[in-house]
Amino acid sequence: MPRPSRALLAHFDRVSVALRTLGATDLVTRAALRADVMRLIARVPAREARACVSLRLVAEAFRSDRDRGPRQPALHQSAHALLDAVRKYLTSPALRDRLALLESPERSTLAIMRGVPENSPTLQPRTSDLIGDADRKSRSDAERTGELTPFTLPEESDRALLGDFLDEAREYLESAEAAMLALERDPSDVEAAQVVLRAFHSIKGTAGFLKLDGVVALAHHGETLLADMRRRDIAFTGHTADLALQALDTLSDLVRRLDAARQGAPLVYPPGFQELLAALRHADGSPSPRRGAAAGGAPEGAGSPVRDAGGASSARVRLDRLDAMVDLVGELVVAHWMIAQDPDAGRAHPELARKVAHAGKLVRELHDMSMAMRMVPLRATCHKLLRLARDLAQQAGKQVRCEVEGEMTELDRNMVELVADPLMHMVRNAIDHGLELPEERAGLGKPMVGRLALCATQVNGQVIIELSDDGRGLQRERILDQARARGLVHADEQLADADILDLIFAPGLSTAEHVTEVSGRGVGMDVVRRNVEALHGRVDIRSTLGEGTTFTMRVPLTLAITDGMLVRVGEERYIVPTTNIVVSVRPERSALFTVGARGEMARLRQEVLPVVRLHRLLGVAGAREDPTAALLMVVSAGERRCALLVDAIVGQQQVVAKPATAGIGDVPGIAGAAILGDGCVGLILDIPRLMDMARRVPVADVQAVA
Amino acid sequence: MTTSAAAGKYLTFYLGAEEFGIEILRVHEIIGVLPITRVPRTSPFVRGVVNLRGRVISIVDLRLRFDMAPADPGPRSCIIVVRANDAHVGLLVDQVSEVADIADGQIEPPPTLGAGAHTDYLIGIANTAARVRLLLDIDRVLGVRELAAHDAAPSDPSSGATSPGVA
Repeated sequence: MPRPSRALLAHFDRVSVALRTLGATDLVTRAALRADVMRLIARVPAREARACVSLRLVAEAFRSDRDRGPRQPALHQSAHALLDAVRKYLTSPALRDRLALLESPERSTLAIMRGVPENSPTLQPRTSDLIGDADRKSRSDAERTGELTPFTLPEESDRALLGDFLDEAREYLESAEAAMLALERDPSDVEAAQVVLRAFHSIKGTAGFLKLDGVVALAHHGETLLADMRRRDIAFTGHTADLALQALDTLSDLVRRLDAARQGAPLVYPPGFQELLAALRHADGSPSPRRGAAAGGAPEGAGSPVRDAGGASSARVRLDRLDAMVDLVGELVVAHWMIAQDPDAGRAHPELARKVAHAGKLVRELHDMSMAMRMVPLRATCHKLLRLARDLAQQAGKQVRCEVEGEMTELDRNMVELVADPLMHMVRNAIDHGLELPEERAGLGKPMVGRLALCATQVNGQVIIELSDDGRGLQRERILDQARARGLVHADEQLADADILDLIFAPGLSTAEHVTEVSGRGVGMDVVRRNVEALHGRVDIRSTLGEGTTFTMRVPLTLAITDGMLVRVGEERYIVPTTNIVVSVRPERSALFTVGARGEMARLRQEVLPVVRLHRLLGVAGAREDPTAALLMVVSAGERRCALLVDAIVGQQQVVAKPATAGIGDVPGIAGAAILGDGCVGLILDIPRLMDMARRVPVADVQAVA
Repeated sequence: MTTSAAAGKYLTFYLGAEEFGIEILRVHEIIGVLPITRVPRTSPFVRGVVNLRGRVISIVDLRLRFDMAPADPGPRSCIIVVRANDAHVGLLVDQVSEVADIADGQIEPPPTLGAGAHTDYLIGIANTAARVRLLLDIDRVLGVRELAAHDAAPSDPSSGATSPGVA
């Protein structure tokens, strides 16, 4: 039984969180959210068409919610309920009568959208509910006057999205063309018809967002034509088939023209475009036999190759296959490691050992290659962030100049999606709290226009993304006051500057003077840190009062494989990621001391570090208590260091990180799990999180991190 | 959510002398007990994680979940793998019994007992051929909130995971 992919579910969750925190008037977020739902729709497998209808309703719910006045919160709530219902619907394919899941939230959403009582008998989704205001308007305009708005590129601010749209559209058109051919062979092929329908539909959605009215009109009529055929059970033959093919070809043509226009070519509709639209309009109203009315509209034909934007030639690969391959190669690396470690393969048989080593070299190359296949540049993410910054600044009446450096830095494509959310949050914070209003800046002798810089670099298998603004900087006093008020810091406790800044990552702490729609609701930086740490990454902060703030985010290139050190604590074994390990030493008695209330410390290699007793933190019995009989493993996360007390090191191991606690929620201090050489599960420690935990343990107990 | 139409096939199993049932559609597979890796700082009834053919799944001890006396897995102990919270979760039970067809008429609504009784995890009680079986609502038994990790709050010195005092 096919289950939805984890990526799809993650997408659902992301939208769900965004929807829940959607304010009353943040238009930009809403537009982005709507686009995100459209992408979600595109991701839903074709056989789940019913779910797409519901999702479309979710998207429309916050396109038109502005006019709903007092009903708006209810609409958001019911859209959220509907989104959850769709998720449930997709994850329980075996459920009896699972359509019932969708019906009730659909009805309430529709009821609010149409302003009728929920028990109204007419509550069925209509096509008109599923077409946004913009395309409805452009359609009625076009229908009334028969005129087209001029074919123009989107506004400057939307140009970055245009590239994404064109790529996406090409992909849809390609699959639609293949499906169309299948339809011609077998006119009753419902699946194929669905693929074509979805292509029209998805292109229409994004084109509407970019205000490409001609594309919207054409895609809309194509969609209606096919939907009509399906509804009235008309086979895909003759005149309608010709028209649908023409619509598809012409869409390809429009996409090509848009692409050319980006390079400066003049942008006009293809010849016969008007006629084709007219013919389609007739066809979707009533089956009119005006064959050939649009003959002039047929462009070069379906066979013309789609140009690749990049220089190198490339092949499209299904993502699930690519992911499966990367996972398998990861397992292969581990499996090979197990063979190489086997004593039988080693000393006793030097010839075999040589062969195993050779295979190992190939496995590593294969691994590097498979990772490279999944790498994509950060460019698209950067552009979205810049767009967000500009829109937010405009909304807040602030002026900002954005700079990007290193947008071609590559990252695992799974990671690219995952870093986007925390970055978006940081951009919001920077614009909303960081930058001052122009007058205020002028008063301070700063340039009126603020600066926001995004810089990405790759260093030692890590990607470092820095986001800096030249705004007001963080006010230590206020952070400390808040932290004290919330009991995060003792009233008389003295904190180092870095520790004070670090407090903004504590849950519930907000430094915003005013809670705005954009940020400052007190949920924020703690979520950012948690998200980044879930990626085995780290966020750090530097800030100078009056001069600005810089967030530095470090994430690994990939999550697929982790180099780790297996350590023993009592009867348990844990994996410490090698990236976190500085050095391991058995301390001399003289190196250990206790600093009053600060707890146990160790002087190791001219450095004084807090000692964290892992067995206490993780509640393990039977561990070695005396550090001089055990081992201190110096670990670092960002700027912070401490010495973990472990019994012994078992060995080094490469592991494929898997989620450790699926189904039982987040477990603090555990980053993931991996299958060890003996087939048991080993837990991968989340070092940054452990440091936080150690710090939070009462002062008399374990003390951490100077 | 929809717990109506409870009639259908149930996989039944024992915890001590009590017999329970879960909807067969929710059951992914039944496996023997595997070596369990303890996961720190989780609810007491989360036994840990196991390696199920390369996949890491969490194991919930249903005895502990229902506040029954703890027992070490015996030769008849099994792990019932179910789908919940978008993941596979293993339920550690004493013994699997049978797959029973339970008709609507045989299901009685859960009784309202005093506070502390776990009746909110029940779909109903199946009363067939002199056997009483408690039909579990697996989503409630494994509700995310119930299973959420015991994160040590900033002011929670009594957290079981850390023992106070420095040597």
